[in-house]
Amino acid sequence: MTKAGMTQPGLTKTGMIDFRDVNKWFGALNVLRDITLSVEPREVVVVCGPSGSGKSTLIRCINGLETIKDGHLIVDGQRVGDPATNMTQLRTEIGFVFQSFNLYPHKTALENVTLAPIHVRKIPRAEAEQAGRELLAKVGLADKVNAYPAQLSGGQQQRVAIARCLGMRPKIMLFDEPTSALDPEMISEVLDVMVAVAEEGMTMMVVTHEMGFARKVAQRVVFMDAGAIVESGTPDEFFSHPKTDRSRAFLSKILRH
Amino acid sequence: MLENFSFRTIVEYLPLFGQGLVTTVWLSAISFVGALLVGIALCAMNLQRGWLFRAPAKAYIDAVRATPLLAQLYFLYFGLPRLGFVLPELVVGILALSLNSGAYIAEIIRAGILSIPRGQVEASVASGMTYTQRMRLVVLPQAFKVTIPPLLGQAIVLVKDSALLSLISVAELTRAGQLLASDRFMPAEGFLTIAAFYLLLYYGLKALAGLSGRWLGTAGART
Repeated sequence: MTKAGMTQPGLTKTGMIDFRDVNKWFGALNVLRDITLSVEPREVVVVCGPSGSGKSTLIRCINGLETIKDGHLIVDGQRVGDPATNMTQLRTEIGFVFQSFNLYPHKTALENVTLAPIHVRKIPRAEAEQAGRELLAKVGLADKVNAYPAQLSGGQQQRVAIARCLGMRPKIMLFDEPTSALDPEMISEVLDVMVAVAEEGMTMMVVTHEMGFARKVAQRVVFMDAGAIVESGTPDEFFSHPKTDRSRAFLSKILRH
Repeated sequence: MLENFSFRTIVEYLPLFGQGLVTTVWLSAISFVGALLVGIALCAMNLQRGWLFRAPAKAYIDAVRATPLLAQLYFLYFGLPRLGFVLPELVVGILALSLNSGAYIAEIIRAGILSIPRGQVEASVASGMTYTQRMRLVVLPQAFKVTIPPLLGQAIVLVKDSALLSLISVAELTRAGQLLASDRFMPAEGFLTIAAFYLLLYYGLKALAGLSGRWLGTAGART
């Protein structure tokens, strides 16, 4: 597909997240190569691939934690990187869950959840706290509202982090290896919460190697290698019948045990 | 040797030492507040992206850290009048201590802010906070805790540095010792007594540091 032949973004129906020929370099390293990918509203897309393949960079571009060099990236109808786009405003519509949780250590679980709703969304404190308690209950932490992050296990911290994103009532949730820093016995409690969020119809992009999660809720699995999208398909297609040598090699490594 | 040591003279001079101690305490306190303001301003300049503010802040911090406080004090004391600013010694002294300590405090605060993990900034950016919001709500409250112990260390240094103001005849604690030494030719009595008072101030500030450490420790918010 040539650039000239491409329809103007915004004139056609676009997805919730729309990458068109996106490229990014770190110095001489082409970390994102000609990425074209559209995520529909309510769709759950799992991104996997070997380490250093650009998966995290891909989703970090969506809320502008990384900037793209060329191509178009349209999120919720707004062009990322365009000076006319209010990124601060756009970010309020996008929840981002980090591998290392990044909870605010000086705030309780409830304060972590209500901080942005109160100060960014300008929701009255009482209302935000009520919603925050409900969210913490929803992720199974009703008894931990007043705990500080240091007093919580990794799995509990990550669930608070998810509740913190949901507190902003986002249209999109991005997950950057949300279970990679967790002890094995804590992974399922976090995945259960993510499944619940997906089942409520959230648009999600999830960087993960958790195949059980992908099979359960993802409509699509995208496999990346060396900055490019190599393969994409339904979880069943991808895990059972990988089409490329690179995806077969990758799957044989993560499936061995 | 000790038979020549005159405790009676020390007692006789106690009111003078008392006045000196009080002066040292309040002029150090004012200077420290001034230094905090200078330090915050310098640090804010130093954290800007553009060189327009950063370059002068860095040059100032380097200049202060590279030169002796005594030279800076004399520069202000003898230099300012030549530029047309005739100020009382006390004001010059407080100015010198504030400007000097401010450079060190700027670096202490900067280190505190830079010690906050990048993930904290990313989390607040991702939730749609503006620069001001994330500094006020996320970065500064955490940096504050890291900064308290080294700031108290700097306060101790400032109290000791204030002794130099005796050289521009500010009637502070060291000046009181000098007076006893020169009036009665009793340098041992004079300077040992002020040493004891400085030690007292040191323990006072150290106790404060301990208290703040305990307060920070029980805040329960450390990682």
